[in-house]
Amino acid sequence: MENNRIGVYICMCGTNIAKIVDVEAVVKFASEIPEVVLAKSYKYMCSNPGQEMIIQDIKENKLNRIVVAACSPNMHERTFRSALRMAGLNQYLLEMANIREQCSWVHSDPVEATEKAKALVNAAIARVKLHEELENVSAQMCPNVLVIGGGIAGMTAALELADAGNTVYLVEKADHLGGNLARVDLTAPYLYSARDLLTERITRINNNKNIKVFLNSKVTSLTGYIGNFRAVIQNISPVVQNKTIETEVEIGNVIVCTGYKEFDASRIVHYGYGKLPNVITSFEFEKMLRAGRIETKEGKTPKYVAIIHCVGSRSEEFHSYCSRVCCMTALKYAHEIKSAIPECYVSDVYIDMHAFGKGHEDFYRSSSQAKTLFLMYEKGDRPVIHKAGPKDDCEMLIEVNEKLSGETIEIPADLVILMVGMEAREDAYEVARIVNISQDKEGWFIESHPKLEPVATTTDGVFIAGTCVAPKDIPDTVAQARAAAARILARISKEKIEIDALYSEVNPNLCSGCRLCNLLCPYSAIEFLEDKKQSHIISALCKGCGVCVAACPSSAIKGRHFTDQQILAQVEGLLAEKL
Amino acid sequence: MAIRVNPEFINELDRFGAEDVQLCYQCGDCSTVCPHADEIYRFPRKSMKLLQMGLEQKIETTLEPWLCYYCGQCSEQCPREADPGETMMSLRRWLISRYDFTGISRAFYKSRTIEVLTIIFVALLTGALLLYYGFTNGNIGIYDGEGAFLPSHFIHRFDLSVGSILLVFLLINAFRMWRLVMIKGTDFTVPWWLYIKELYQLPWHFFTQKRYSECEKKRGHKIYMPWLIHLGLMLGYVTMLVLVMVFVELLQKGPEIRWEVHAFGYMATIGLLAGTLYFIRGRFKKHYVQYKKSHGTDWVFVILLFMIVITGVSQHIFHRTGLIEMANITYVIHLMSAVPWLLRMPFTKWAHLVYRPLAMYFASIRREAIEREAAVKELYPLVIK
Repeated sequence: MENNRIGVYICMCGTNIAKIVDVEAVVKFASEIPEVVLAKSYKYMCSNPGQEMIIQDIKENKLNRIVVAACSPNMHERTFRSALRMAGLNQYLLEMANIREQCSWVHSDPVEATEKAKALVNAAIARVKLHEELENVSAQMCPNVLVIGGGIAGMTAALELADAGNTVYLVEKADHLGGNLARVDLTAPYLYSARDLLTERITRINNNKNIKVFLNSKVTSLTGYIGNFRAVIQNISPVVQNKTIETEVEIGNVIVCTGYKEFDASRIVHYGYGKLPNVITSFEFEKMLRAGRIETKEGKTPKYVAIIHCVGSRSEEFHSYCSRVCCMTALKYAHEIKSAIPECYVSDVYIDMHAFGKGHEDFYRSSSQAKTLFLMYEKGDRPVIHKAGPKDDCEMLIEVNEKLSGETIEIPADLVILMVGMEAREDAYEVARIVNISQDKEGWFIESHPKLEPVATTTDGVFIAGTCVAPKDIPDTVAQARAAAARILARISKEKIEIDALYSEVNPNLCSGCRLCNLLCPYSAIEFLEDKKQSHIISALCKGCGVCVAACPSSAIKGRHFTDQQILAQVEGLLAEKL
Repeated sequence: MAIRVNPEFINELDRFGAEDVQLCYQCGDCSTVCPHADEIYRFPRKSMKLLQMGLEQKIETTLEPWLCYYCGQCSEQCPREADPGETMMSLRRWLISRYDFTGISRAFYKSRTIEVLTIIFVALLTGALLLYYGFTNGNIGIYDGEGAFLPSHFIHRFDLSVGSILLVFLLINAFRMWRLVMIKGTDFTVPWWLYIKELYQLPWHFFTQKRYSECEKKRGHKIYMPWLIHLGLMLGYVTMLVLVMVFVELLQKGPEIRWEVHAFGYMATIGLLAGTLYFIRGRFKKHYVQYKKSHGTDWVFVILLFMIVITGVSQHIFHRTGLIEMANITYVIHLMSAVPWLLRMPFTKWAHLVYRPLAMYFASIRREAIEREAAVKELYPLVIK
């Protein structure tokens, strides 16, 4: 084995590091350590001249190990790895010491900060000596895609993928496509018909040979890893219940678009939903609108309609989040009621009016123009609906502590529409378990980064889109569906998938097949080979978290790039007495 | 006890000029710029909300509309173009009709035709009466004294009878206002001596209109023009009213000019002329927010007033230049415009001359009563429980 020839680079990060850490002292300290061939400082190591310097030094001084003491590896490890590759060195022969976030930014005493920087550099040097050359692996990318959920999100994603020539398996639990949107009449704020939006899509899907639609079906298992999944689709239609019809498909990626369900309004006792016949939910009202008849249960044309917002949303007892679409939907109802029954009085009882987004504010304004009576109630102080007396000209009276005027008022109502919020479906847990993604405390699926990775999940190859992630409106849902499709198309076009070399490996000579690790793995990356009676890690699924490494009673699992020896050397370097 | 909303009310107020109140989304910008809104009198925001909800029983007891002088800053500020200034104006119109027990005011505000026909009817009646009197008792060639067409002692009695009719209506309406505002509208105790303590508010606000000047002050204008003109018009008007009701016999004597009364007459005329011209010009040019939307009754107000001033001035000139017949004819025309004007007073905009100072007086009584009660509550929280 050739001798270690280590190059140490201390970054000043302008003054970010240099103002607290005595960079030159660290350089001097590093250069005196055995096997360190050279140590240098530079104003911005990540700049082009900085990287050039490292590349030049590697070539001229035959360096074979590099330590960069600078910022967090999250920030610039990729930069310096690529510098190593350009110099012809394996990219994993790099170690970074974080002397900015973990040193200069958090300490104020220059002397002690400098000592700490030396310790961090010493640890990095000790660790880098044990680094191994690693190679990324690649796997085949199957171009077929599984889309779970046939609502507007699933259909949009399926069409996008199929139009590019890929086979799509579209699985829908109900006996028809369309999802929740199929239950809606018009859409806010431009009053397009939901039916028009859907039929165009459904027709295209039915005519598209690349899309295989599975109605009355659900996905019962998903195994494998990105590019190489295998899914089982089961028919659950009641007609064929006695025998199970299952289809197994091979796919490379999955998009989950399972949507939402509406809040159960009977959970709020104040509103008398289920007891008062003319208290209905927004979806029941949509049904009336689609039928073209707005009337009370007794078949009368209502003179007063009251709309109550935030039913189940924005409350401590039920859901704390805003369901985002109800305000605009309520304004849409005001519009539709006024155009169907011009002499009808509409009151709109809300906590806040959330008219975010394009066209919404104008829509709100036009509803005001039409003399919709807007009333505000305090969060937690819900309106109470009573049956009206025989002398009243209305069915019900709603008592509201109107917040803006401070008055306790009574609104007449013949029909009360409860704007029920969105909540995660009951079967979301089952889906999450099958495709191996996580849910938040409300049951929504969690994206891998809320800002930068809104459709990806922690499982590579599994994407989420639409209202199964969080409440959102149609444009946002469609945008997410297309984003997920675009991400998948980009991967399909590469044909192969690069997998990071940082995964764990089982040493078959040591594994006793206890299967402890199989249960612990948070990414379901460990399979049990029945023939060998041993565990095996699927490198494409493994994220290198190290849980199995720590758990293995036989020390049979090695975390690549995070071996015990490497970590111990780092710790020893950190704690070395002579600094 | 919950008050039932009245969704019809907003449509009704539309006729009184509140055409845009439904646009208000209660941001409260109007109350922030308003120089007069405070913790106790929260307008225009709250008044607008009450109007939207149609809480009539509540609105009729409020004083807020009278505390607004319509400087228009709220309407300029309003992000929704809901025109709070005009809404307050409309509420004043509605309150005038609410204080009036005859229903005449309501009819005038809701229908221009009724208003104009009534004015013409009263004018013709007055004209006929005067002409009949003139031709049976006097000579059109004589202006005053023996055999005069319209002798001053007759005019004096005529003025006083018109004045007392006006006074009766006005007093009844003012009493109704007091009952709504101070009895129905107070759920707190108002000690009787506060009525005496705050009595100075009446003349103070009547003669200075100080709060109006505060509007202009907040605007940052160097010369508080609308306030000055409004004050001039009002003082001119009141002076003229006193002259006509008390000193008309001195005023009519001629042809020499009696400076001890005419000096006042001229000054009052300047005030009236400047005021009417300024407001007519404003309503045409619409350069101030408050003149953007003129209710029909506003036009009748300024035009009729202008006619009275012009005929009054011409009659004076004709008399002094010896054109006696002309003077008598213009005098008849002058009275034909003045009588409907005076009789119209308790039912229309003009009544604010009385309601505004009264409101200011009641408002300070109410404020003091509320503050006293709050102080008591703070001292003895248990007693209140």
